[in-house]
Amino acid sequence: MQPIILQGRKIVEGYCKAEALVSTKPISFLGGVDPADGKIIDSNHDLFGLCSKDKVLCFPHGHGSTVGSYVLYSLSRKGLAPKAIVNQTADPVVVVGAIIANIPMIDRIDIELIKTGDLLEVDAEKGLVRILARRGS
Amino acid sequence: MHLTKEEERIYDGEFGWANQTCMRILVRLGELFGAAKLIPISSAHVSGVSYKTLGDAPSDFLETLASSGTKTKVKTTLNPQSFDASYLRKKLPHELFEKQSNVMKYFQKMGFEPSLTCTPYYLERPKKNSHLAWAESSAVVYANSIEEAWTNREGGPSALAAAVIGKTPNYGIHQIENRQPSAVVKLEKPLLKDLEFGALGILLGKILGEQIPAIRGLGNASADDLKQLGAALASSGMVNMLCFKPVKSDVAEKITVEAKDIKRTIETLTTAQIAKPDLVFLGCPHCSLNELRQIASLIGNRKVRNGMEFWVCTSCYVKNKAKKYVEKIENCGGHVLTDTCAVVTWTDKLGIKSVMTNSAKTAHYAPTLNKVETVFASSVDCLNTALQ
Repeated sequence: MQPIILQGRKIVEGYCKAEALVSTKPISFLGGVDPADGKIIDSNHDLFGLCSKDKVLCFPHGHGSTVGSYVLYSLSRKGLAPKAIVNQTADPVVVVGAIIANIPMIDRIDIELIKTGDLLEVDAEKGLVRILARRGS
Repeated sequence: MHLTKEEERIYDGEFGWANQTCMRILVRLGELFGAAKLIPISSAHVSGVSYKTLGDAPSDFLETLASSGTKTKVKTTLNPQSFDASYLRKKLPHELFEKQSNVMKYFQKMGFEPSLTCTPYYLERPKKNSHLAWAESSAVVYANSIEEAWTNREGGPSALAAAVIGKTPNYGIHQIENRQPSAVVKLEKPLLKDLEFGALGILLGKILGEQIPAIRGLGNASADDLKQLGAALASSGMVNMLCFKPVKSDVAEKITVEAKDIKRTIETLTTAQIAKPDLVFLGCPHCSLNELRQIASLIGNRKVRNGMEFWVCTSCYVKNKAKKYVEKIENCGGHVLTDTCAVVTWTDKLGIKSVMTNSAKTAHYAPTLNKVETVFASSVDCLNTALQ
């Protein structure tokens, strides 16, 4: 397929190429993600039971306690953090988390255009997300 | 965002990882909210101290930060932790105490004051028109509205970053144009009991979102009543300040609060009618000297009922100034706990399944944060339940 290019805004610089894990729901890192294994533990969440390790985690925005920022740091120390974060609208909890954990992050991306399993190239410095390949196409 | 030469050097890492990380937090948040520059702050207040709410995740970050030798640049106070030094320390597992102590060790190494209270304004009143970076939403409303200092509602990490740098991004209610009320609230009847102020806060928080209200008809309210109102307002909504001064009549939204609205809100804050709750809890936010005096004066010759816990929470600072009242409360069988409160400790591990409180904020949060039933009542009714 022809790469689809999405232009957003840089939050934390960095570059990676990895598979997308997409959620339509906001994520609360405190209480919603287990810091021990990185799995989503909020049973009402569409990513329940999944882990964002080595993925590009795409979701609308964060919510909940600001302690959630520290959860991202902890995940990154354990090698369980996502390779990059792509948000519709950046919020303080995820922004601070991405900074302290040094996870490349972009916002202002229409995440509905991205599907779980898509191979993404994230160039956070330029605020770019490229969809390189999609399963079945 | 415009940075000074020195800020740029910090941002580029010349002063080490810890300063760089904190500067990056402030700059990114500033950009996110449209700040043009950083401004100096007189103090910071950091939330996210209780190990019960933090869990293990932040320990790594705090430890790394503390071991880098970084120090706070301004006076920085801390929110309550999960223990008091005597009563709960004896009743809860030692392992949890150790984990909490580690968190405190990191904070203290960085120069944070172990104030351990949600009411830092009782320790030192912030100066009028001074800029602060405070987390703890109830203290934010109090500082902006009653002390007329200027602070956004910071999160734990952003207040921490501001403490290390000594500055905060200039946006939100650090700017005078954003400190104007956009809704006028008219009270149909004056509020009489303490719990009505909390109920008004919960009700308005849901309606107002982030709007600053000017509330008319609060002439008789004490600072303690307004503390309850503000704490509740910030629990159910995102409101950061309220105004008491008259405002121009062209302010957009007008809200009338009737007596029945208050009554209905009070009812919703009680999740189950329980005659003998496991715990009667006063002191959310932490009690003022005046509140301790009132509680002591209402005790009379009564004692705490068998099988019931009665906690009054305050800061160590206020407790030390209130020896006479503390004695009265403890002699009747109550516990004056400092550095903590019912919401940020493990009530479940103490077998507490129901809590009666005069705090609308606690009644709002405890069903989810403590998995308890709540009974919301005036302080007089709380004491009548706890004592016989």
